[in-house]
Amino acid sequence: MSAILTAENLFHQVSTSEGPLTLLNNISLEVARGESLAVTGASGSGKSTLLGLLAGLDRPSAGKIWLAGDEINAMDEEQRAAVRARCVGFVFQTFQLLPGLTALENVMLPSELRGERGAAKRAEDFLARVGLEPRLRHYPRQLSGGEQQRVAIARAFASFSSEDAILFADEPTGSLDAGNGAKIIDLLFKLNGESNTTLILVTHEQRLAQRCTSHLHMAAGAVESYAPLSDGDSLSEVSA
Amino acid sequence: MLPLRLLLRDWRGGELALIASALILAVTCVTAIAHFTDRLTRAMEQQSLTFLAAERVLRSSKPVDSDWLEEANRRGLEQGQIIQFSSMVSANDQFQFVSVKAVDKGYPLVGQLEIRTTVDGPTEVAPQGPPPGEAWVESRLLPLMEIQLGDNLALGDTQLAVTALLEREPDRGTSLFDMGARVFANTADLPAAGVIQPGSRVRYRYLFAGDDQALKEYFDWLKPQLTEHQRVLNLSEGQPRVASALDRAESFLFLAASLAVLLASVAVGLAARRYGLRHGAYVAVMKSLGAGRNKILGIYLGQLAALTLIATAIGLTLGTFIQAQAVNLMQGFFPVQPPATSWSPLLIGFATGLACALGFALPPLFRLARTDPMQTLRHDWSNPDKREWLGLVLGPSAMLLLVWWLSGNLLMTLALFVGMMLLVAGSALVNRLLVRGKLASLGGAWRIALGSLQRRAAFNTLLIAAFGTGLLAMLALVFARTALIDEWHMQLPEKAPNHFLLNIAPHDVPAMENMLAQGQVSSTEFYPMVRGRLVAINGTSIKEKKNRPGGVRRELNLSYTNTLAPDNRILEGEWWDKASEGVSVEVELAAQLELSLGDQLRFSIGGLEMEAPVASFRSLDWNSMRPNFYMLFAPGTIDDLPATYITSFYLPPEDKLLVNDLVRAFPSVSVIELDKIIQRIRDTINQVSFAIESVMALMLIAGVLVLIAGVRASIAERLQEAAIIRTLGGRRRLLLKSLIVEFGLLGFAAGLLAAIGAEATLAVLSQWVFKLPLVLHPALWLTGPLTGAALVGTAGTLACYSSVSQPPLKVLRELA
Repeated sequence: MSAILTAENLFHQVSTSEGPLTLLNNISLEVARGESLAVTGASGSGKSTLLGLLAGLDRPSAGKIWLAGDEINAMDEEQRAAVRARCVGFVFQTFQLLPGLTALENVMLPSELRGERGAAKRAEDFLARVGLEPRLRHYPRQLSGGEQQRVAIARAFASFSSEDAILFADEPTGSLDAGNGAKIIDLLFKLNGESNTTLILVTHEQRLAQRCTSHLHMAAGAVESYAPLSDGDSLSEVSA
Repeated sequence: MLPLRLLLRDWRGGELALIASALILAVTCVTAIAHFTDRLTRAMEQQSLTFLAAERVLRSSKPVDSDWLEEANRRGLEQGQIIQFSSMVSANDQFQFVSVKAVDKGYPLVGQLEIRTTVDGPTEVAPQGPPPGEAWVESRLLPLMEIQLGDNLALGDTQLAVTALLEREPDRGTSLFDMGARVFANTADLPAAGVIQPGSRVRYRYLFAGDDQALKEYFDWLKPQLTEHQRVLNLSEGQPRVASALDRAESFLFLAASLAVLLASVAVGLAARRYGLRHGAYVAVMKSLGAGRNKILGIYLGQLAALTLIATAIGLTLGTFIQAQAVNLMQGFFPVQPPATSWSPLLIGFATGLACALGFALPPLFRLARTDPMQTLRHDWSNPDKREWLGLVLGPSAMLLLVWWLSGNLLMTLALFVGMMLLVAGSALVNRLLVRGKLASLGGAWRIALGSLQRRAAFNTLLIAAFGTGLLAMLALVFARTALIDEWHMQLPEKAPNHFLLNIAPHDVPAMENMLAQGQVSSTEFYPMVRGRLVAINGTSIKEKKNRPGGVRRELNLSYTNTLAPDNRILEGEWWDKASEGVSVEVELAAQLELSLGDQLRFSIGGLEMEAPVASFRSLDWNSMRPNFYMLFAPGTIDDLPATYITSFYLPPEDKLLVNDLVRAFPSVSVIELDKIIQRIRDTINQVSFAIESVMALMLIAGVLVLIAGVRASIAERLQEAAIIRTLGGRRRLLLKSLIVEFGLLGFAAGLLAAIGAEATLAVLSQWVFKLPLVLHPALWLTGPLTGAALVGTAGTLACYSSVSQPPLKVLRELA
């Protein structure tokens, strides 16, 4: 099985008024196409930083990252943005919908940013798949938390323009109650399975981590445990 | 088209309304003021040119070479001619010395003659002077000559029919030629009249009007050929007082327009900053969705361009409309029909929109493009930017260039910015003092208010500077306006003397004093006047002096008195109460002659020569309309020399016939009537004052709107805080009080800084731009902080009132 995402010896440091602060320390991982990886760990363990680096939102201080065949650590911001536009989707804990745009316009945005035609049709399809067909013209403030996260999921799936699609989810149930959280997770895995996308998920919830094919646990910026998918494992069995 | 689509979506979401309304406000204000200033300035210029009755005048004591006039004709200039002299006219055995003004069919090129064709009839506008064979006269000549309208008047050998009464002539001058009542005639009648003989004292005025460039080229060609008896007059030479009033008014109106730009740009800056902050999250999301920096920049630049164009178009339309309505409403106040609007105010408005957008809205957008997409994961929207200085430099620089362009005056622009810089530096300092003070110990509301000020310390510096700018503009405007108008009115007090009596024989003085007293007219002192020429200084002939001032090339009016006139002041040396001999010299003439106290001046008076030491230097006000002298001798020095007396007095229009009685009773006395010219000057000054007051009103409205925009920039945070405090049990009354305290303190601090800034700005302006004496304005120090506290306190509290009045749950939900 070919790796869609590989990280080698990642280090990340930031400078603070008290001197340099190491956020990530020597992290290596490999994620196969169609795999789902859960990243867990306590607050401040470096989960979100790792997610940002893997998605190309920032560059590591040292180490290498290959995302869909591109070595993104060597790229500048514009080049990394182009990679993101092609094969990265995001679901955030706080939904991050643009409040001035309707549900439909929020989902249209990624296609519009790529300058694609038929953005509205594509967005309508995705919103129908997350069950929000009747709410297309509603603004985020007119939607419940669960509905907003469904719009965000639709937007994330609308973000891909290539087969090499990776969905990054940063605590997607963190702002939702248990009932809504479960529904969102079901939806996320269902769409992930249907679209054959790769899922990288940051979460605190063990129950959610257990649904993923592989699991990386972090502490103080380093990998505490890593259970990658072995060659013999079947993705469909694990994610079902 | 993505930027436009996003713009429309953003607009629908209400995000862009504030930035657009600030831009519209900026462009509207500036366009309205620029239109108004443009029309008013052109109206005033037009009206002022009527003082000359032309755009340029060539004055000569002899007829000029006819080739010169043909050349003007060849260059397409309009021409007119005036021949002016004093002469005797007669009718019914009555003789009267009058001031004759003979004009050709070209006169007047600018302005209008106003006449009445019946004694009680309405005033009519005459496009030209009287036709040949006719004369128009001042009404007081009728009783003097015992004639009626329609009767004949003999001017030399010709008879002229008096067909109209002269009400107003545009170029009524102040010269000594204007002795006696005015008689208007046609130049065609002069040869037959035969009144102009070789040696007659006649003044020729050749009037020109036409295209500016053609006029300039013609006079560039003509000037080298002029003799010393010929002079070209334009507005500033013809009427220096009016020209300087106009210059100052123009400076002032442009200053007002510049301040409107500054105020509006502060509003744009505040709105754009808020927009930038709120959009940081959006940009981070868009970046995570794959939009690069260039894409983001393209989107926001496209949005800004579209927004600027739309807002500018609306502002231009609104500004033009408001100005047209204002001019319509104030039609009655304009002494002349205001000229149509021109394109230049629209250009100024457009440039303003562009400068505000580029200078103030662009830096937050550049900053947006640099947003770190990792923020979406960190949930931190503070977005610190090391290049924030760019915004601080770009905005003020754009404004500096715009104000410079608007005012055309670098000094004025720099003066404005000196005040501004003081303000920004001071804001940081005052803000620091404010939050570190012990005001919090005053109680609950003060503690909440101080806490709020502390939490927003950096932003408050910006707010104080912004409020301070608005207040500075208003204060500088109010005080500059007051100083200007007061000074103009002081120059021409309501009852300034408007008649001079000359050539009064010494033995007529008591009788004349008596007659004036009976007519209840109070005159200035009667000054003896001796004609004499300054011939030498310390034994050296004056002729050897290079650059001799005009005053000493001709005979001077010398006088002596014990009493120093109220407008005279001894600057150096002693007045006659302490010194017993010598001469007191006017200070500017003394400087030109390089005199020192004690220098021996030799005068030639009626063929006799006498010497006197310089006893003092004296300043005086030539504008006081009182008799004034370059040289005042100690009593006893020239008392024995033959003298006539001079005095001046104020005569209200209804007592005008007293002049006739004076002329009849003292035929040898010359009367110079200045009442009409003073009225013209006063009209112009009133018009200028009115213009300034109108612009002031517009500025005040702009200032208040900017303050509200400033408060609105931080309203969301304030609403949230207030809602949280209320949720925790804080009472409405407490919150309201804390709002009043917080905004009152901000306003007080801004007002204090504005007072300092305005004082500095006024000092620079009065010193170098308006050329007025330097004075401190204690009222400003009181008005500034109090107005600031009241204005910002009220505006801020009203703008935030919804946080106190709305249910906290609603506020929190809306802001979530």
